[in-house]
Amino acid sequence: MPNGHSALATPTMERAPAAGALPAGQDPVRQGSVQPMLEVIDAVHAYGDVVALDNVTVTAAPGEFLTILGESGSGKTTLLRLISGLEKPYKIGALRLNGVDVSEVPAFSRNCTTVFQNYALFPHMTVGANVEYGLRVRGVPPAERRQRAQDALKLVRLADKYDRRIHQLSGGERQRVALARALVPRPAILLLDEPLGALDEKLRVDMQVELMEIHKSLGMTFVYITHSQEEALTMSDRIILMRKGRIAQAGTPHEIFDRPVSRFVAGFMGVENLMEATLTGLDGDDALVEVDGQRMVGTWSGRTRPAVGDKVVVGMRAERLHIADRPPQDPGLNVLPGRLDSAIYKGKYLDRTVLTEVGPIKVRLWDSSSSTAEQGFVWWKKADCMVMSA
Amino acid sequence: MLDRLTPSGVAVPAFLITWSLVVILPLLVIVLFSFLQVKSYRVVYVPTLGTWESVIDSGRWIVAVRTLRIAITMTLIELLLAFPFALWLAKGCKSKPAKAIIITLLTIPFFLDTSSRIIVWRSILGTNGIVNTVLTSLGIVDEPISWLLYSEFAVHFGMLGSYFPTMVFPIFMIMSLIDDDYLQASSDLGASPGQTLLYVILPMSLPGVVAGVVFTLVPLMAAFVEPQMLGGGFVNLLGNSVNSALQELKYPTAAALSTIVVALLGVCLAALILITRKRFDMSTMFQAIRR
Repeated sequence: MPNGHSALATPTMERAPAAGALPAGQDPVRQGSVQPMLEVIDAVHAYGDVVALDNVTVTAAPGEFLTILGESGSGKTTLLRLISGLEKPYKIGALRLNGVDVSEVPAFSRNCTTVFQNYALFPHMTVGANVEYGLRVRGVPPAERRQRAQDALKLVRLADKYDRRIHQLSGGERQRVALARALVPRPAILLLDEPLGALDEKLRVDMQVELMEIHKSLGMTFVYITHSQEEALTMSDRIILMRKGRIAQAGTPHEIFDRPVSRFVAGFMGVENLMEATLTGLDGDDALVEVDGQRMVGTWSGRTRPAVGDKVVVGMRAERLHIADRPPQDPGLNVLPGRLDSAIYKGKYLDRTVLTEVGPIKVRLWDSSSSTAEQGFVWWKKADCMVMSA
Repeated sequence: MLDRLTPSGVAVPAFLITWSLVVILPLLVIVLFSFLQVKSYRVVYVPTLGTWESVIDSGRWIVAVRTLRIAITMTLIELLLAFPFALWLAKGCKSKPAKAIIITLLTIPFFLDTSSRIIVWRSILGTNGIVNTVLTSLGIVDEPISWLLYSEFAVHFGMLGSYFPTMVFPIFMIMSLIDDDYLQASSDLGASPGQTLLYVILPMSLPGVVAGVVFTLVPLMAAFVEPQMLGGGFVNLLGNSVNSALQELKYPTAAALSTIVVALLGVCLAALILITRKRFDMSTMFQAIRR
């Protein structure tokens, strides 16, 4: 652990497994081997008639980077506010931080801090006073809190901004101050509410990397809220995708990206080609489907096993599809003849639409000279043909 | 349109000239007037210190001290009452209709004549008033409490309602501008409600507190209705002296007394600015709250 970081790490954090060390697909909480850092059991919340959370259960292992993903109104921010205590749930089975039930504990006594979407830095205080705030209210002596605040500012690379005023900082700098301020009290869990939402593209990518490094070096549990699937895939150990107050799918970035359980998840995770189909056969995970009379082979990725004859959805990512002048001969492949239609130039790649019997299919070509013919064939592997619940 | 007004080469002098003509010039005339004399209803333009000597000799400085004392006491009382009230109104009161009704009720002192509002208290606080009648008939007191009316208590009591809104409004306004996120962030970082009040709400609402103090203290220094109606001649303030001097057509005396009021106010406000400036920079505070 680098020197600049040690001041922030608590003994419990050092015991926690390093985030990167968690093998993909393994959830120690589910296996019951580790005491979860966070447990939200059966949370129900509503604003007036609008249900914000509908029996949501979420757990996070110590040192985990958990991302709650969803569009606005999906309930993700409500969930975060329940954890921090800024919102009192309508009904909750249990809310445990590090094994202790805190559902009746007020926000200021809970061992978690939040990086707010708009940062909420105190405008009447200097950068240093903002960062020290969590220590000041805990009665830490001035010399020690100054030292710890400076360590935290060093961690976010703002060591020379201690005496600045908030309105003198740029957006990116404010974001870092907000992060330092939330880290300084050494919370068990750091809650981040779309912290990069207000930053421009370049800065956002830099901050993603920086956040991941800070997370790794502190070993702290991060609960991160975002509506950007790209951000979620880049940073998380585990993703919970929410929709209308319910969990649509929970799993590692790989699981959610490659094996979406429903049409909604696939669409949210950017699967370009989605078609309604009928299941005609299922052997293990190998699914046979029919789309407009066209037979295809795919891999079942839904949550529950369907029956033959059920309505399902077939999804293919544009970048996993290929175009050829002649049909490939491998019988395990899906092949569709079609007419090559419009192309959209995207710089690094080319998006082409192929008009087939089952409708237009979008294909992403990384080599723009790959095909110029009018007629051609689209083909893709069984593993790249996702079959899921409608 | 607004851009064309921004060159400070035009806007600042324009403001200064207008303000000087409308406010500062009359003030200077008043000061000058106090060094003149009026003889047989005509102003004699010969400088003299006679008015000032008589003002000091007649013991009017005691009135000045009493005025300052009562004005400052009342400002502090109003501040102590208004701050928690404004906090509740801005952050605690969740019902919008209730808030609208309260704000409307607070403006009543502005549209009702002071004298007619104050005189009512006579029939409530007097020896034969409602309070004493109830207290004696219940046997709580043997004889009517005399200090309820025509006393400093009565004057303070009468001023309570009149000067409450001017203190509440600026504080309420600035507190409404404080984003709830700041309070939540404070709580989230571990501050108890008391600490949030001390470290976040209080400093952030300071511009409103200063405005409230100014808007309350200034008219209190010139108050004359409450002392006249409820003081019964025992609690004369500078405002009453100015009034009676004007009625007796002693313009230089009125001018001298007004000069005292203005000078005392000047000292009070300078002190206020010094106290607050040491800790907070007002202009950046407004900037910062706007985000």
